[in-house]
Amino acid sequence: MSAICGILRGSFEDYLSDALPPPQRKILREHLAACAECRDLAVEKDPTFVFARPVHDEVTPEETARILSAVKTGVALMETEKRIRRTRRRLAGGTAAAAAVAALVLLLPGARHGTGTSAAPSGTQASLPAKPPASSPLSSDAALSAAALPADSAPAGDATVYDWNPGAGQEEPRVVWIVDRGLDI
Amino acid sequence: MELVYSQRRDREEATSLPDRELAIRARGGDMVSFEALVTRKTPAVVSLARRIVGNGEDARDVGQMVFLRVWSELHRYDERYSLNTWLYRIATNLSIDFLRSARSRERAHGATLHLVEEREQSTAAEATRTAEDAELARLFETVSGSLSEKQKAVFVLKEMEDCDTSEIAEILGCGESTVRNHLFNARRVLRREIGRLYPEFLRGRQL
Repeated sequence: MSAICGILRGSFEDYLSDALPPPQRKILREHLAACAECRDLAVEKDPTFVFARPVHDEVTPEETARILSAVKTGVALMETEKRIRRTRRRLAGGTAAAAAVAALVLLLPGARHGTGTSAAPSGTQASLPAKPPASSPLSSDAALSAAALPADSAPAGDATVYDWNPGAGQEEPRVVWIVDRGLDI
Repeated sequence: MELVYSQRRDREEATSLPDRELAIRARGGDMVSFEALVTRKTPAVVSLARRIVGNGEDARDVGQMVFLRVWSELHRYDERYSLNTWLYRIATNLSIDFLRSARSRERAHGATLHLVEEREQSTAAEATRTAEDAELARLFETVSGSLSEKQKAVFVLKEMEDCDTSEIAEILGCGESTVRNHLFNARRVLRREIGRLYPEFLRGRQL
């Protein structure tokens, strides 16, 4: 038993009650790891002293490499998911913007010019052709054609393009309908 | 060829950088720095997780989760503070979550029972530890089954990782008095369990 053993044995209680300052705590732990006599005495006093030392729980380089490989795969997956989310957001944003532009075009005063009526189109009505000129219902393509709204309607394949105000300039928005008979809605 | 050489040079450079610098670079998307950080910190993280969750296989799973969380949360890391504290906080919280799950609890009990019955057997991973460390680790795994997750985490951080009480409080997001309380109760439970399972530790002492 050395002189330091006697001093350190007096600090067991403080260690257990977590009242030992960090430097002294470190000294005691290092001493207990090295001095079997003091360690036995400490464990006799309180068996939890058996854990009062760092445990070198080795992780092999192979284990580390396996974990690193799994983490890299996980990170790559996370980054891919992030990119997919960003692309989806961009696409959704683009679609929303296109829809907003289309709605704006239809709702602006230019739409009224096309119909040739004084009634202001509202909401879905604006997208419906031709309430005004004819009383014919829009129950078929024939009816649509019969509405004879724009002069400039040109068939394009299965689709017909109705240009409501072909002479529109910069101040007046151009309103165009595309009726595609090939679409199965 | 030039690229391979450059990557190798980057890796060598990264291994010599301090933790914080690696974290800052990784935050900027530098994968080489992140890999160096994972390689450097894996032993400590897995070791801590192994103490808390009770077995090596789960600890490796927790280790992977820890580093994935680190990657996704690096923007939250404040480099004015120790990276180890931040890392230990993530590792401890994930280990506690893991332990709390029913599956993990079953495994922990299974592992404990297995260890009580077959203490002399050692796994391949344990073969790399020194005999004394392995014995101590097995002893802790055996007697710590009755501790609550927080008590176990506090005891492991305090006794085995030698963290300061203030650091443990920061890691667990609680007050120092709470840490001391957990530590006191953990000691009480461990004394009881050691006395019950290994009375030879209590020579000349009565609980």
